[in-house]
Amino acid sequence: MKKIFFILFSITLLFVSCSKKPEQQQQQQQTTSKTKTIGVSLLNRAHIFYKDLEEGLQSEAAKHGYELIVTSGDFDLGKQVSQIEDFITRKVDAIVLCPVDSRGMSAAVKKANDAHIPVFTADIASEGGDVVSHIASDNVAGGRLAGEYLAKALNGKGNIAIIDQPTVTSVLDRVKGFKEAIEKFPGIKIVADVNGEGVRDRAMQVAADILQAHPKLDGIFGINDDSALGALDAAQQFNRKNIAIVGYDATPPARDAILKGTQLKADVIQSPTLIGSTTIAKIHEYFSGGTVPKIVPVEVGIVDKEALEKMAVK
Amino acid sequence: MPEGQHTSNALERFKRLFDKFGIGIALLIELILFSQLSEFFFTADNILNVTLQTSITAIIAAGMTFVILTGGIDLSVGALVALTGIVTTSAMSSAMPMSLALPLGLLVGGVLGFITGIFVTKLNITPFIVTLAMMTICRGLAFIYTDGRPIWEVPPEFSILGNGRLLAIPIPTIIMLGVYVVAFTMLHRTRFGRYVYAVGGNKEAARLAGISTNKVLIQVYILSGALASLSGILLASRMNSGQPNSGLMYELDVIAAVVVGGTSLTGGRGTIVGTFIGAMLIGVLRNGLNLLNVSSYVQMVMVGVVILLAVLLDQLRKK
Repeated sequence: MKKIFFILFSITLLFVSCSKKPEQQQQQQQTTSKTKTIGVSLLNRAHIFYKDLEEGLQSEAAKHGYELIVTSGDFDLGKQVSQIEDFITRKVDAIVLCPVDSRGMSAAVKKANDAHIPVFTADIASEGGDVVSHIASDNVAGGRLAGEYLAKALNGKGNIAIIDQPTVTSVLDRVKGFKEAIEKFPGIKIVADVNGEGVRDRAMQVAADILQAHPKLDGIFGINDDSALGALDAAQQFNRKNIAIVGYDATPPARDAILKGTQLKADVIQSPTLIGSTTIAKIHEYFSGGTVPKIVPVEVGIVDKEALEKMAVK
Repeated sequence: MPEGQHTSNALERFKRLFDKFGIGIALLIELILFSQLSEFFFTADNILNVTLQTSITAIIAAGMTFVILTGGIDLSVGALVALTGIVTTSAMSSAMPMSLALPLGLLVGGVLGFITGIFVTKLNITPFIVTLAMMTICRGLAFIYTDGRPIWEVPPEFSILGNGRLLAIPIPTIIMLGVYVVAFTMLHRTRFGRYVYAVGGNKEAARLAGISTNKVLIQVYILSGALASLSGILLASRMNSGQPNSGLMYELDVIAAVVVGGTSLTGGRGTIVGTFIGAMLIGVLRNGLNLLNVSSYVQMVMVGVVILLAVLLDQLRKK
């Protein structure tokens, strides 16, 4: 038994020592006294979303002559915390964070606060610690776009349903915007608002029930793509061709469904590039002595088959 | 007193009837109630819809019945649904033919069930803990393998399994009925079934009677895992994709179905028909409440109340 424990213990030690190995990333650049340096820790660098976000950061930073040190937490909180500690040691002028874990980040943010380095969060917020500004997609506006698109697709009249997930704040914002848009069309009635729990299997089940309860349903808003695709599964199972579905996020399977001409007609799409450039623009305002709002909502767009086909050509 | 005798006879007869069909009567009441409340409930389309939707949890519940009859529990089934969906769809998306990918999917549950069985028997860890660990391991593997994203590039013919119909009846419904016929036969008509009851009733006595209790236990976890995988394949087919976040909390729905169906969590007592009716009872409840546009928060409470009532009923029956 003792032996097993010893082995387990040494394996753990090995892992710990491996993960603690300091990573000297591309941080060799010397900072001159004049140019401002901004330390960036992204959530990860593999996803297209964060690649685009980084591009937005870089292009805007070039405009103002800021130097960026870009690192990535890669979903590893420990790694991200040590990156921030490195930034503090290097005395950067500002830090941009996409926290790996909203709560787990607070201690590191406080350390930066103590060192008087301003912290900005992009895309994902941090809970705790003093953040100058949080720059992220405007979910209310996204919901509004979805509502407007669906209303127009139905020519301003019909019965619609929402596949909801009322336990998530960003979703509440989306639904709020959606309902605001729909209110402007008196011919459209929201006949059901059900919880699909944001996952495809549950969404499919509740959508199937809604389709049974409302033989004349004309439209569905899915608060994310899993919800919209679950609704699409149900619509296809019951062969309900005359129904328009609008989703949110424009993930690859959703784009595929839109391009194939299914009942999924359009998707709200975030602009990570714009999130990135807005973040640097706000930092510039802050450096220039301006006041920056606590939350900066970034515009979103909506794509349908036509728009996606154009994007593919590009 | 012939009069008194008569009533007590009637009471006795009702009690016996209720003993046998208690949960069935509850389902009947539910069906009548919903068909009065919603004009869309008692339509052929909706009844088939309910059986289609319930098939996923009902198939798992058949396997869970065996596990619970031995006095065990299997919390890993929901995560297995997700993992199997991922394995099957990713095998197909990397050009494995469906005729190989489907058995591979079933193997996932079978093998993991076997491992669970080994931990429960040879290493003597309580099933609750083993399967709890299995649950998080399987869920974690599903997320690691997919990086949290769905696998959606699957051959179009895969969708037939979950979405096709045979003589207007959905294929998952037919598979579910098949599973229950086989499970009924296994439990009530074979030696294996008798052993399952014996192990659950009194493990030590079963062992002394010459039953290889370990073998029986390992077999029931393999069965439970394989049926969870079968459901996972059907669900993935219905969604045309493997979703790492599918099957969340299915274990609770499944256990609820088994318990509502009259199977005792302490083992040794219960039937496969009871489980089927229990699964249907909960499925119909969900569907009916959705048809009536009852909010999801209220639904959670109502499902909980029904479970409590069913178990209470069972307690009263035992007395």
